[in-house]
Formats: sequence, structure tokens, C-alpha cells
Amino acid sequence: MAVQFDSAPALLAPQGAAVTPSASGGAASGFAAALAHMLQSVDTSAGAANSAVADMVEGTGDVHDAMIALQRAESTLQLTLAMRNKLMQAYQDIMRMPV
Amino acid sequence: MSTLDAAMSASASALRAERTRIEVAVSNMANAESTRGANGQPYRRRDVVLASEPVDSFDSILGQAGAVGVKVSAIVEDPSPFKRRYDPAHPDADAGGFVAVPNVDVPEQMVDMMSASRAYQANLSAIGLIRDMIHRAMELGK
Repeated sequence: MAVQFDSAPALLAPQGAAVTPSASGGAASGFAAALAHMLQSVDTSAGAANSAVADMVEGTGDVHDAMIALQRAESTLQLTLAMRNKLMQAYQDIMRMPV
Repeated sequence: MSTLDAAMSASASALRAERTRIEVAVSNMANAESTRGANGQPYRRRDVVLASEPVDSFDSILGQAGAVGVKVSAIVEDPSPFKRRYDPAHPDADAGGFVAVPNVDVPEQMVDMMSASRAYQANLSAIGLIRDMIHRAMELGK
């Protein structure tokens, strides 16, 4: 049994690539950088969860370690999703603004 | 990730420590009648020594750690004398017919196991509580 998580930045790479150039030319804006950082931490925690589950299946890891790592990965992902949703909502609010 | 994460790490270290306590109590129980060990001596009761240890977090680097975990610092053998039982037919009996049996008290090990198991459950509840706090905090954004 192998549990595989897709790498989050890899999944989101096209969107990330589309966002970065539009954000003030060369340097990524604060929010884009923060989002990229969040995606990085999602990827890190997913990787940690992946190896903890693999360890548990192999018999070298504890059940609780695997579950805690999964829980951490989930929390990080949900926090990132919440931030992304807020960003999208703000963007749409601005787009709907009458000119 | 956050300071709540450090609290979760502290609870996780406690889960590992309690698991070790259960492992040791179980091996003591399993070997309550082992009259021959690797060194030719009867089994000696083993005990876990726990020590507190700050978890890795930003606060701990600043020296303001609220969350302090626990680790197993040593597993020590109980030096108390072996129990002696009169059983002349036993292969390990001495000239007087007495057998040295491990210094393990089975009821005491049962109590140890129960206490370790309850402590494990308590730490699981703490982790559940921290998880709920994180999720509740994220609901602020909805």
C-alpha cells in the first residue's frame, strides 16, 4: 500500500506562474510571496505525512505519528485554501466594482 | 507552523513516551517467569525514566517556550534482589532447591500499564483539542 500525495506547488504551478508576472513586474508582491510560502509549507507537511504513513506501513513508525502528520498536512492545506479563497473573493469584489 | 503546533509536538512526544512505558511494562509482564536471560541470570524488572525536553519551535529558540515535551531519558533495570521460590524439580534450582525468579510484581505491572494507557488517552484528547482550536480559528475566515 503506497499513499501518494501530489506535490501541491507542481499542481498549482500554471496558476502560480500566471500570478507572479502580473504582480509588480520582477519582484513577487507580498501576497504572492506569502502564498508561495504557504504552498511550500503545504508541500513540506504533505511530504512529512507521506513518509510518516510509509514508516507506519513498514512497521518502523507509530500510528499516532502518522495521524498527527496527516492532521498537520490537512490543517496547513486548509489554511492555505482559506487564504486563497479570501484572495479570490477580494479580487472578485474589486472586479464587480462599478466604474 | 504555529505555536499550537508546538503544543501538538509536546503531546506527540508524550504519546511516544507512554508507548515506551507500555512496551516496558508489557515486557516485564511477559518475562515474569523468565529464569534465564541473555546473561544467564533471571530477567530483571525494567523501568522507564522520563525527562522533560523543550520542543523545537520559534518560542523555544527565544527561550520563551510554553510547550515542553517529554522524552525517555533511560530504561533502567531494577537492582532489587530476585524472588526465591522453592521448586527443587526446576532445572534452574540451586543446591538448596530454590529458584531465583524475576523481581517482577505482576499486579504492579498491570497498574503501570493502566496508568500509561490512561496517560496516552489523555494526550490523545489534548491533541484533539488543539486540532479543534486550529479549525475553529480557521472558521473566522468564513
